[in-house]
Amino acid sequence: MARFSLACVIAAVSVLSACHPADDSKGQATAAHSATLGSYDLAPGGAAGEWTSQARDYANSRYSSLDQINTANVRRLRTAWTFSDGALYGHEGAPLVTGNTMYTVSPFPDRAFALDLTKPGAPIKWVYDPAPSPMAIGKACCDPVLRGWAIGGGKLVYNLLDAHVVAVDMKTGKELWRTKMADVSRGTTMTMAAFIVGNKVFVGNSGGEMGVSGWFAALDLETGKELWRAYGTGSDKDVKIGPRFKPLYPQYRGKDLGLKTWPAGMAQHGAGSSWGFVSYDPKLNLVYYGTSNPGPRVPSQRPGDNLWTSAVFARDADTGEAVWAYQFTPHDQWDYDGVNEMMLLDLPINGTVRHTLVHFDRNTYAYVLDRATGEVLKADTFAPQNWSSGFDWKTKRPMINPAKTPKVDEEVKNICPPDIGQKDWEPPSYSPRTGLIYAGIFNICMDLTNHKVSYIPGTPYDGMEMYRHSVDGKDGNWGALIAWDPVAGKRAWVIPEKFMVMSGTIATAGDLVFYGTTDGWFRAIDALNGKVLWQQKLSSGVIGQPITYLGPDGRQYVAVASGVGGAAMVQSALPGLPARGSTLYVFSIDGLDVNGAKVPATGSKP
Amino acid sequence: MRTVGIVAIAVTAAAIGASTSGWIMSSRNDSRNGVVPTNTAHRGPAAVPLGDVAGAATFGESITMPNPLGDGPAAVESGKKLFRAMNCAGCHGYDGGGGMGPALNDHYWRYGGAPVQIYKSIYEGRPQGMPAWGRALPADQLWRLTAYVGSLGGGVPPDQAEAALHGDTVGRTVKKSQNNAAEGGNGVEGQ
Repeated sequence: MARFSLACVIAAVSVLSACHPADDSKGQATAAHSATLGSYDLAPGGAAGEWTSQARDYANSRYSSLDQINTANVRRLRTAWTFSDGALYGHEGAPLVTGNTMYTVSPFPDRAFALDLTKPGAPIKWVYDPAPSPMAIGKACCDPVLRGWAIGGGKLVYNLLDAHVVAVDMKTGKELWRTKMADVSRGTTMTMAAFIVGNKVFVGNSGGEMGVSGWFAALDLETGKELWRAYGTGSDKDVKIGPRFKPLYPQYRGKDLGLKTWPAGMAQHGAGSSWGFVSYDPKLNLVYYGTSNPGPRVPSQRPGDNLWTSAVFARDADTGEAVWAYQFTPHDQWDYDGVNEMMLLDLPINGTVRHTLVHFDRNTYAYVLDRATGEVLKADTFAPQNWSSGFDWKTKRPMINPAKTPKVDEEVKNICPPDIGQKDWEPPSYSPRTGLIYAGIFNICMDLTNHKVSYIPGTPYDGMEMYRHSVDGKDGNWGALIAWDPVAGKRAWVIPEKFMVMSGTIATAGDLVFYGTTDGWFRAIDALNGKVLWQQKLSSGVIGQPITYLGPDGRQYVAVASGVGGAAMVQSALPGLPARGSTLYVFSIDGLDVNGAKVPATGSKP
Repeated sequence: MRTVGIVAIAVTAAAIGASTSGWIMSSRNDSRNGVVPTNTAHRGPAAVPLGDVAGAATFGESITMPNPLGDGPAAVESGKKLFRAMNCAGCHGYDGGGGMGPALNDHYWRYGGAPVQIYKSIYEGRPQGMPAWGRALPADQLWRLTAYVGSLGGGVPPDQAEAALHGDTVGRTVKKSQNNAAEGGNGVEGQ
């Protein structure tokens, strides 16, 4: 496996030091910065001390301008308080903070908690129990998780595992509306983080292993009424492809390709669900999201490109009309869902600032697309892989290595990456101060045997028997944290990790990056060079997303959930993987909380 | 049709199981059984031995019934084919190691691991997403599935079913990490 090993050393890229600005609190590159730095739209803005959406902004930067906690003092981080939500499934969401209250939601049974940040220990203000159907537990492919929740218009909005969306009054915890989106008994669950723009809530379904029809929908924030729904496969009408659809590449032109690129009758169970994070460009009024693997996962049962699975859609946020699409993995044979986040960054590509979408796909290509047109600007592999022999710039498709295509009833050894990719849904962050993207990734492969499957409603439409292992052999590492230069299309540096890194990351103006490992270490590193400056072992593995905020005392806190689960459980045979947990940790300098001295407002740069 | 008759007996036994569970507990040889005896001098509702009445659901004597098709290779192999054809493997894993559904090769059985108990779980379905296969499959196929599930490593022999019900078993040292043992399912099948 040595041929896959990249240089696993932490090496600071010296050019970045020169780019390190003395002061940049707004997340926008300025003329003083090196040309390699990009920028992004900070919308929806809001107070720097709050964290009001999973990704902090529509662009999905996960960058905070707070710098009270920085490279000079991060060694003094200590636990200020902890909170258990009592649910032991994987904890994948980010708590939200606004108006001196923290809002967090447990994995199944999807209970919401409002925590009072003005009091020591952040006592519970209210608990909301939606009472979802326990049937959903066994219909969720990869642990009964929830990847996040949204707030807007005085409401906390989130998906229930049993395919309902609920809105809860943020002040009282009272349920305001509940909308049924699908029948869970037939295999549709909902695990993604609802995403709010203005008066709309965007949601999508899970169930790519269950033969569902994939869809993405907009609901009215006030009433929960469905405004539009666009399917991931099917006729142009179902996919909401119409006159506004202007695909750049010929493979996307033609009528009803969501039916014609499938054998007859297969598209309706062909998945293309949408269970990842959503982003939004306010100037273009486009929402961006990815679609899942095609179903069944056995490719010989569905010859064709299987549009529009393993792809990205840009849709008009008001009407749902598709404006462009791009398929990352045509005729996906390995379960390479295209759902990973789309970061909306403005980057200097070949000397010109382009309004781009940066996407780290499960298939190991880091794509840079023009987010207005879908033009492919860059496609570079960010991790070891062997399924593809390179990117074909003529067809804009990855070239396939025939030796690594799956076979029915025959084991194909050592396909890299495995089904969950070298990066799954866990969201990276971007620092406009370094120009780097910080992403938790994997270092794994699979031995794969396919089995033909039949569609039986409510059961897996799957067929992949897998044995997953490290790229680097029996004792090799399963994960890493990489700093990625999206302009150069290469790693700046890497921190090898024994276990998969499945946490989100955040970057701050204190030039820190926070991330967690699935064996339970929560680390703060220097954003420039990856040096570990602080770390704390938590009670369980981290697959949640950190946040940072200012408390009512003016103090900067960092919070992260500890509770391993989800796809990280592919490591369950690895000695050292911790047991499950349910604890939210909140850290501050010296562990001080609202009992401590109030921090002067000048102490940070909000 | 022989097996269908046995199913009827099993289900009937389950129905009366709740009322006989007290009898099973009090039949154990230690009269105290680690529990403070109920004050029987009191003649009100508390005179009812609550612990007995509210004991675990049980099949009563039928819990010890063996698989009518036996647990030999023919039954196991045909059960394995069904296990894959009916998509059971998609939830419980191709090796029974669990995933979306509980592991079937460990020693934790929420609804019991003796043949009759496994049969009943497959027949009726279970609340956390397990379909009710009794609607779709004839009894002999359910018994074949039962034989295969029992062969995966965690099956409880009928004569030990009563002991397993009461936790009269031997603990094990787990070398590998085995998360979620109480829920079954150590791994996932991927997203």
